[in-house]
Amino acid sequence: MGSEEGENPDSLERFCPTDEEIEKWMCSAFEMARDALENGEVPVGCLMVYKDEVVGRGRNEVNETKNATRHAEMVSLDQVLDWCRHSNLDTKSVCEQTVLYVTVEPCIMCAAALRLVNIPVVAYGCRNERFGGCGSVLDISSADLPHTGTTFKCVSGHRAEEAIEMLKTFYKQENPNAPKPKPRKD
Amino acid sequence: MEPQTKRWKGSACDADSWVPYPVLSDEQSQDVELVDAFAAPITNKKATSRLVRELNALYPLSGLQHIKRVRACKDENGPHPLQVLLCLVSDAPDMKVVSIDSLLPSDGAKWEGLGEPFVVQIPAWPPLTRPQFELASRRWPTSFHEDKQVTVALKGELFGPQQKAMMHLYMMAALTAAKAAKDLGMEAVGAVVVDPEKEQIIAVGHDCRGNHPLHHAVMVCIDLVAQSQGSGCYRFDSFTACSFTSPKINASNPEVGPRPYICTGYDLYVTREPCVMCAMALVHSRIGRVFYGTASADGALGTKFKIHSRKDLNHRFEVFRGVLSDQCEHLNRM
Ligand SMILES: [Zn+2]
Ligand SMILES: [Zn+2]
Repeated sequence: MGSEEGENPDSLERFCPTDEEIEKWMCSAFEMARDALENGEVPVGCLMVYKDEVVGRGRNEVNETKNATRHAEMVSLDQVLDWCRHSNLDTKSVCEQTVLYVTVEPCIMCAAALRLVNIPVVAYGCRNERFGGCGSVLDISSADLPHTGTTFKCVSGHRAEEAIEMLKTFYKQENPNAPKPKPRKD
Repeated sequence: MEPQTKRWKGSACDADSWVPYPVLSDEQSQDVELVDAFAAPITNKKATSRLVRELNALYPLSGLQHIKRVRACKDENGPHPLQVLLCLVSDAPDMKVVSIDSLLPSDGAKWEGLGEPFVVQIPAWPPLTRPQFELASRRWPTSFHEDKQVTVALKGELFGPQQKAMMHLYMMAALTAAKAAKDLGMEAVGAVVVDPEKEQIIAVGHDCRGNHPLHHAVMVCIDLVAQSQGSGCYRFDSFTACSFTSPKINASNPEVGPRPYICTGYDLYVTREPCVMCAMALVHSRIGRVFYGTASADGALGTKFKIHSRKDLNHRFEVFRGVLSDQCEHLNRM
């Protein structure tokens, strides 16, 4: 398994996606997000691409699984792990060369997960004002956490308005699975 | 699939050997922030209420409602036993020499009864805890709306012997799971999810990182809770120390009472402080409270972040550290 020096800046450069690549892969990520919306899930979709091949895709599955951690990124990471197993490739060396395309900025949890598996680059659409882990609430992508994998680079803004519109559409509908909020005494 | 609670070698139930302390927010645990203000002695005690009224009108000290305007001087035998706050230094007009005349517009006999001004440091924010209140009061008299529970918790006295016995039981189950993980070559971390009202263990999980790099003990438990609710997305059958129990429902009338929804109302016991991923997973899962044994280097519930207490997240929860701390610490040395 020819894994190269991980922190080599040249190798990072190589994984930085071009505008064409972003446009191409984001298109599929948005399809995933739309599928989530149609299924009553928070509309976030993503794709993981290794050497120009899709090795994982996902959309939110929180309500379906009753597991609040089933965000698009976590779903697609599971597929990447399966793909590595079937291809008999080392997970770490694949992840180190895999780009994540996701319609919304990864949340704090997902940002930490991406660090833990050493994803080097994330291209996302809009900011995640509620939970964002790449700067909006906390910046986990670049935080000094020596025991939490490696930092990653973000490229943001592609079709941001469209991603926000989908989120707004979702939050306008009520989440039928959530209990009615109790009045909070503060 | 009954979660088992095997005895931990060499750990007699010594409830006095550990104390659960709360992990408070930054606002609650930070030092008292101070701000410079001008004060002056009251040379004529009878003028006090008039002076306070006039000063309140001129310099209302807005945003400093916790500050008392007048204080009794430390040196009670001094010539002037009372001092009054005039204004914040930042609100004072530009002046070459600090004097009553340059601080307060001269207006006949209005300011009679005030001595020469001097600078004091007063607490910038209302104190949130008793330790903060005690520090703040040493600077200038400050009012305090005490949260009694926080005060008791900070003394380590929030939980009585019976509650500590239950906490001991739950953390023992987490320790047993951690030991099983270690035996399988995973990291020695265990976690237990409990319904505190029914005193029922819902899920027992441990680190399964050998199988999946993100299967930290907390993540395993969250999926086991989903499985206890008839869903979830993994299988942990091959790990015999990982298990779940379906929550008890009101047998006579199953429609009564709230249905379990993710981890709402549940407590988590985990041998060591969760990482950022796990801490945020607990926010998403609406956990009730978290109890952990020892801190971890990149921990997100006290060490590097306090994810549980952030006002900008949509769910907050209480965290206590130090439950069976010695036994949990021992896991790191195994
Ligand atoms: Zn996420
Ligand atoms: Zn973790």
